[in-house]
Amino acid sequence: MAEWHKYPGGIYKLKQDLYQELEERRNKVLQMGEPRVLEERRKAGQLLARERLDYLFDPGTFTEIGMHIKHRTIHFGMDKRWVPAEGVITGFGKVNGRMVVAFSEDYSAMAGTFGEYHGKKETYAIQFAMEKGWPIIGINDSGGARLQEGMDTLEAYGWLFRMQDLASGVVPQIALLLGPCLGGQAYHPIMQDFLIQTRDTGFMGIAGPAFARTQIGEEISLQELSGWKAHAVKSGQTHVVAEDDKDAIDKAKELLSFFPPSNREKPPCVKTGDPPERTAEELNDIVPDEPFKPFDMKKVIKAVVDDGHFFETLGLYAKNMITGFARFNGRPVGIVANQPTWAAGMLDIDSSDKGARFIRFCDLFNIPLVTLVDCPGYVIGSQADWAGILRHGAKMLFAWTDATVPLISIIVRKSYAGAHYGMLDKSIGADFVFAWPTARVTIVGADTAASVIFAREIREAEKPEEVKAKRIEEYSEIYENPYVGAERGYIDDIIMPHDTRKYVNRALDILENKFVTPGTCPWKVWRKYSNINL
Amino acid sequence: MAQEVVEAPIPGKILEIYVKEGDKVEEGDIICTLESMKMENPIMAPVSGVINQINVSPDQAVKSGETIAVIEY
Repeated sequence: MAEWHKYPGGIYKLKQDLYQELEERRNKVLQMGEPRVLEERRKAGQLLARERLDYLFDPGTFTEIGMHIKHRTIHFGMDKRWVPAEGVITGFGKVNGRMVVAFSEDYSAMAGTFGEYHGKKETYAIQFAMEKGWPIIGINDSGGARLQEGMDTLEAYGWLFRMQDLASGVVPQIALLLGPCLGGQAYHPIMQDFLIQTRDTGFMGIAGPAFARTQIGEEISLQELSGWKAHAVKSGQTHVVAEDDKDAIDKAKELLSFFPPSNREKPPCVKTGDPPERTAEELNDIVPDEPFKPFDMKKVIKAVVDDGHFFETLGLYAKNMITGFARFNGRPVGIVANQPTWAAGMLDIDSSDKGARFIRFCDLFNIPLVTLVDCPGYVIGSQADWAGILRHGAKMLFAWTDATVPLISIIVRKSYAGAHYGMLDKSIGADFVFAWPTARVTIVGADTAASVIFAREIREAEKPEEVKAKRIEEYSEIYENPYVGAERGYIDDIIMPHDTRKYVNRALDILENKFVTPGTCPWKVWRKYSNINL
Repeated sequence: MAQEVVEAPIPGKILEIYVKEGDKVEEGDIICTLESMKMENPIMAPVSGVINQINVSPDQAVKSGETIAVIEY
């Protein structure tokens, strides 16, 4: 403590001492919390909370807010306990030259526990990002609720949840799970737009293994219950798995490069050396002649997007649906595609959930959407029906109908029944539908149709198999092609596979100025929002 | 040794099985094909390892989520 000097009217401190005091206070905060924890983290190959922000932001651009914030709890010895930065470092800086707001929980500072002022800092960071129109990145590494603060901790979660929900759709939100995030606190990352989880050190869950054991008698390890596999593979909540802290932050930076800073702007274009009208001859051979054989749709994606670069999200979950970001002529685009090599590429509950949320994110942030379709339909059978395929599948229809961004559909092969609109057709809102000559666009496959329409004729025929085969051929010839749709104008053109990139780029060019008043239906009837089957 | 359970991602009928118990598989190798939605769907090994168990046989109907094989790795 600096010395007080006296003058007849009172006391004062020397300027140099005041500057010194600031220096000391700052240093104390910057040193972070318990040296033992810092050492443990280093040994585990993890970055410390401040190092993570250093790695995230362009050098020298980070401005901290709320460094001196302090809790006001007195119970259970808390009056004597000082927690550096209240266990979470908040501020803003530049990521590849563009502003981003971030917070980073510090496990060394009272285990990064969440109390009233910790919560206030996070809530304010999100409010700040929303009002100023910049993306927010939250780095999760916390022991959970600070129980010593009781009611104050409880209420602070409410501030955080409400604020991040209010910011949802205003600014992009990315969660990094670089440490534990267990308990009700995990509703925080899950309500953000994208989650990136580290393989060995990131954990998320409604409760940890100790609680699972005492409450429901389940014996399970932390990794199995809350690790990357639990969420990237099983629950479909982790979009991207990272090897370590640096990899996670790199992936967050790349994800950000596709997004506009807020919903008021278009996503940033980059320069590309990949010609917009480049042909991809290999696509002419990709679809097998036999309709029952699969092919890898990712090869189609990589052949048509800029430089073959595709950033996949939820790549380990509901693999029959591919979602992710790429660029066309430098423009960020969201890709929604069926993957015929996995579960026939059909739409089921998980793939519908995955696709619909992705579509809505892109729509909220002015990112055009392109679909690549080879879908035999929505999954059928008791298992699917009883699990609610209708209401889950409906999410895709709502998502397309609500979307106001440029919507382009490329029908590669099958587009049958509900999947026709589930994967975006003209009637549900597509601006353009192009089909390859290999496309089969109709209400159902020919054998199903023939066996219904000609059931009696086939049954009563002398040679039922012959009649059936003839009728299938007839139906297929008439309907199982892209031309009937094109004759009605539901398909804009039939294109050679190698020209796909050219057509998508030309479509995106003409759709550059597409504008639909948000919040109105095409007939301009006001509504709050649609009643999507959540 | 960790175990990875390979489950049917879709209901259907097992067509052909390409591996037997004790076989070494690489990630992405086809374990069997499953007929569903009028497609021959490859069921691929999610990890590299050794086939510990095969729980299905050709022509068997499976539900989605049913165990097809177990891989030890």
